[in-house]
Order: sequence, then C-alpha cells, then structure tokens
Amino acid sequence: MAATLFYILATVMVIATILAITGRHPVHAIVYLVTSFFALAGIFYLLLAPLVAMFEVIIYAGAVMVLFMFVIMMLDLGHPERGGRPALGQWLPALLLGATVLATISYAAAGFAGDKLPAMLPGVKEFAVTLFSRYGVAIEVISLQLLFAVVGALYLGRRR
Amino acid sequence: METIAIPAINMSVIAPEMILSVVAMALLLINVFVKNEQKGYLGYLSIAGILVTLYSLTIGWGAPQDGFSGSVVQDNFAIFFKGIFLVSAAMSILITDQYLQREGCNQGEVYPLMLFATVGMMLMASGTDLMTIFLGLEVLSVSLYVLAGFNRGSIRSNEAGLKYFLLGAFSTGFLLYGMALTYGATGTTKVVKIAAAAQSGMVSSNLMLVAGMLLMATGFAFKVAAAPFHMWTPDVYEGAPTPITAFMSVGPKAAGFAAFLRVLLVALPVFKAEWSSLLWVLAVLTMTVGNITALYQQNIKRMLAYSSIAHAGYILVGFTAGNAVGTSGILFYMLSYAFMNIGAFAVIILVGKKGEENNNLADYAGFGYKHPALGVAMCVFLFSLAGIPPAAGFVGKFYLFSGAIQAGYIWLAIIGVLNSAASVYYYLRVMIYMYFKEPTEDFNWVRLSPAFIICLIIAIAGVMIPGVVPGTILELAQKAILM
Repeated sequence: MAATLFYILATVMVIATILAITGRHPVHAIVYLVTSFFALAGIFYLLLAPLVAMFEVIIYAGAVMVLFMFVIMMLDLGHPERGGRPALGQWLPALLLGATVLATISYAAAGFAGDKLPAMLPGVKEFAVTLFSRYGVAIEVISLQLLFAVVGALYLGRRR
Repeated sequence: METIAIPAINMSVIAPEMILSVVAMALLLINVFVKNEQKGYLGYLSIAGILVTLYSLTIGWGAPQDGFSGSVVQDNFAIFFKGIFLVSAAMSILITDQYLQREGCNQGEVYPLMLFATVGMMLMASGTDLMTIFLGLEVLSVSLYVLAGFNRGSIRSNEAGLKYFLLGAFSTGFLLYGMALTYGATGTTKVVKIAAAAQSGMVSSNLMLVAGMLLMATGFAFKVAAAPFHMWTPDVYEGAPTPITAFMSVGPKAAGFAAFLRVLLVALPVFKAEWSSLLWVLAVLTMTVGNITALYQQNIKRMLAYSSIAHAGYILVGFTAGNAVGTSGILFYMLSYAFMNIGAFAVIILVGKKGEENNNLADYAGFGYKHPALGVAMCVFLFSLAGIPPAAGFVGKFYLFSGAIQAGYIWLAIIGVLNSAASVYYYLRVMIYMYFKEPTEDFNWVRLSPAFIICLIIAIAGVMIPGVVPGTILELAQKAILM
C-alpha cells in the first residue's frame, strides 16, 4: 500500500516539477510547484515524518509560494509573451549546478545501506514542548514583530 | 491527559518590555480616534508610558534575575542600557511632533513605532540567548526602516528608508550566519553555555566558532556604524526626518554595543586576545575615518553622522580595553552621548523651516545673535561632543581612554586623543558660523514649543551635571558592568 502511494506521489512530483520548469507562464509554474510540494509532503508523511510534511505544506506551499504569487502580481510579471526563451549562456550555469546536485545526491544514495530511519521521528508534541519551554519569549517577540511589520507596511504602502 | 512540564516563567524579568509594548499597541488603537492636528498628544501619552517603564526598571536595580529558561536577564548592565534607551526615546519624542507638523506628515504611527523600536533595543540589552538578541535586533531594525522613510512626501526620506532596509537586511544576514555557526560549534545559543562550551579546547580550536565570532562582529559593527561598515550612516541620517535621526543615532547604537559587549565579554572571553586586536583595528579605523570625513562636510546632519561614527570609534576604544574602567566608561559615555546628540539635533530642527531644512553650515550664519539662548545651548552640546571640559563628553572620553591605558593600549589611547583633538575643528566651525558670520536671515520662523524647551533643558542638564559632578552616574555605571 505504502509503496503504491509512494510511486503515485513521486510520479506526480516529478511531472509537476518538470512542468513548473518548462511552463512559460509564471503563475502556472507556481501552481505546478505547489502541486509538487504537496506530493513531497505526502512522501514525508509516508516516511513517518508528519511534522515535516505539515511544515512543507504550511511554509513552502502556503507561505513562500503565496509570497511569490503576490510579487508576480504586484510587479505585473505575469506576461509570458514579453520574455523570450533564455539564451544558451543562461542555461549553462543552471545545467552545471543541476549536475552537481544530481551527482551529490546519487553519490549519497549509492552509499545508503537500507532502512536506517528511526522508529519514531519527532512529532508535533516534541516540537511544541521545545518551542514553548525554551523559546517562550521568542514566540511573543515574533508575534509583536509581525504586528508592527504590518503596521509599517500599511503606513508606507497607503495611498496618500 | 498528559501534561507538559513548562519551566518556571518569570514575567517580572520582561515587565518593562511588556509595559512598553502594551502602551505602543494601545497608542496604535487610540491613534485612530485622534484628529490629525492633535497627534502630538499621542507623544505625551507615550512619554507617560516611558516614565512608567522607567519606574518599573528602577525596581529591578541591584537584584539580577533571569527568566524564560535563561533567554532573558534583568541585570544592572541591562537596566543601565535600558535607561539610556528610554531617556533617548523620550527626548526624541518630545521633538517629533513639531517637526512632523511642519513637514506635513504628522501621522500617529510614529509614536508606536518609536516605542516598539525601544522595546527591541531593550530586548537586545537583556538578551542572554542569541535568539533573543537577534529578535530584539529585528524588532528594532524593522521599526527603524519604517521610521527612516516616515516622511513619505520626501524623496530623500524614502531613499533613506530603502537604503537602510537593504543594507540592514544584508548585515542582519551576516549576524545570523555568525550566530548559526556559533550554534553549530557549541551546540547552544545561550551565551553562558557558549562560554562553558568554549572552555574545552576541542570547541575553541574549532574554526567554525572563530568564523562565527567574526561574522557576528561584522553584523554588530554594521549596526553600531563602525568603519569599514559605516557607509550607510551619512545617507540615512541625512535623509531620515531629523527627530528620527536623533533617535537613531543614540539608542540603536547603544543597543548594538550592549549586545556586542554581552556576546564578546560573556560568551567568548576565551578569545579575548583575538577580539581585542580585532577591535583595536576597528576602533582606530572608525575614529579616523569618521573624524577625517567629518572635516569636509558642509551639511550639518552629515557632519553629525560622521561624528557619530567617530564616537562609535571612541566607544570601541573602551571596548578594546575590555576592563572595568573601559566598560563603565562605555556606559557613562553612551548616556551622555544621548543628551548631547539629541540636544544638538533639537537645535538643528529649530533652525529649519517648512520645505527648507537649512542644514548647510552657511545657514547658521549669525544664528547665535538672533537666538542667544539656542546658540548657547548648541555650543554646550558641541563642546560636549568635542570632549571639552566641563561637559560630560570630556569625562566619558577620559574614562574610555584611561581604560585603554590601564589595559596597556597606550597607542590606542594616543590615537584616540589625537582624533578627539582633530574633531574640535569641525565642531568649532559650527560655532564660528553662528557667532562670527554676518546673519543673512532673521530666523523669525524659529518657534520654541514647550516640548522643545523641556527637551533642551533635560539635554543641557544631562550634559552639564554629569560633567561637573560625574560621581553618581559613574558609580551607577561601575555597578552595571558585566564583570
């Protein structure tokens, strides 16, 4: 059952990621990337890491991608017809970096000897205990910080 | 149901921060109901809040306590610095309303933002966890980015805000990277535990920890505007609304030094030899670059910006010494610097008029004759900045440099004194314009509101009283050092 789910999710992830790279329209690309993140979250869940799966959805799919979307809409970048295909010179660094990452991961995967995952990865409870017992003051400060960042952004962005 | 053991939470440790944040949030709500012409009352309310906070601080004096599993501490060192922040915030708020009304941007958000920046500084001074220090710095910086660009109608102010934001965010990256490496090397973010971990030779010989220290030093050096990380200062100080410049030039600098001192003195005393020589170079560079560049400035706000860089250099001299005399000198100097610098900026605001900031030296021609009282006040502040007795600036510099001599840094002290002598030139030049040039204007627009009078009286008292009888404050400063 888990293996079947894994292959379905992995296929979805790979296809969505390829579409995100090749898509001409930035907004479509982002939606594909979000799909890929959701599939990745599913895989994390299958690997007994529910917390990581949750963070993947909340932080990457939720916050970061929405931010991307906002920037694209605000700067009015959603016009694929305005930009041409990237030149060969622009592909080269991407290919180089991609090849490096691929080689590193293949090397690491080759040395991976079977199932070494711990029986139980930290869950929400362990995370919450650490957060609230060690970083109580930090949480309060961050919430204040967000409030005043919004106040500042509203003030500076308000129409006259 | 299973319960989670939460360690004892000691709210009284962060009581001052809590009071000030609550006041800031309340002002944010009250702001909605206040008419535009009456926003000045919000300033008085914030000063009331600051006074309550100041009172809550004095209760904790002499009884250090920590809370939140050691991520914040309320010791004398933190309380002394918080006193500086609150005094400088109150004085800056006193001179804000009139300026903003004149420039037509008297929006009420300025007061909550200033209070909130002060909360950030206070967290930096009492943070004993790199996490708290970093968050305090972020709270401070984000408020300051908005405040620097507060005059939305002015291109210069917008430029200052954006420039400060971009460079500030960049430097925050350095600081955070340094903290991450320190955490990686020692396995903890608490300053006391870092010190304990660094005792072992295996940790202290780890290059990662050294790199972490250097990156953190870079981040802090940017925040206190030490050369060669000072480039943002003149542009931001010149472009920001003048009361905000006054606010920015004192509190955030003091907060940067507070966190810097705590990290180096408490967490990394193992590397004292290394960081002393690093700070030696920084101090000499900062003093010299600040003073020499200030000699050429025609704009008084830019001149004071470079002078503030030079003053960061003098403070670094006391820091390099790293001994009791040097550290208490830093505390004393930061406090007197608050009075003299904000006082000078208050006079600068009064010389300007709507649309014309009158920040060039030539605009000060004959000002001393047209407004004798303000002229004398300006002279007092400039004498103090130059370090001429009997002003507080002299006593402060005396202790900073004697700390360096005690620690054996004779050459550093000599370079400091030479720099201080060179700085007299550009401070005196303002006075020459005020008294020895024929007035070209009649300065009839200068209007002294009660708030300004209070601010100037506090500033003069703060410069002259510790200058003549430094005993009390020096004693407090000696009780507040981290050793």
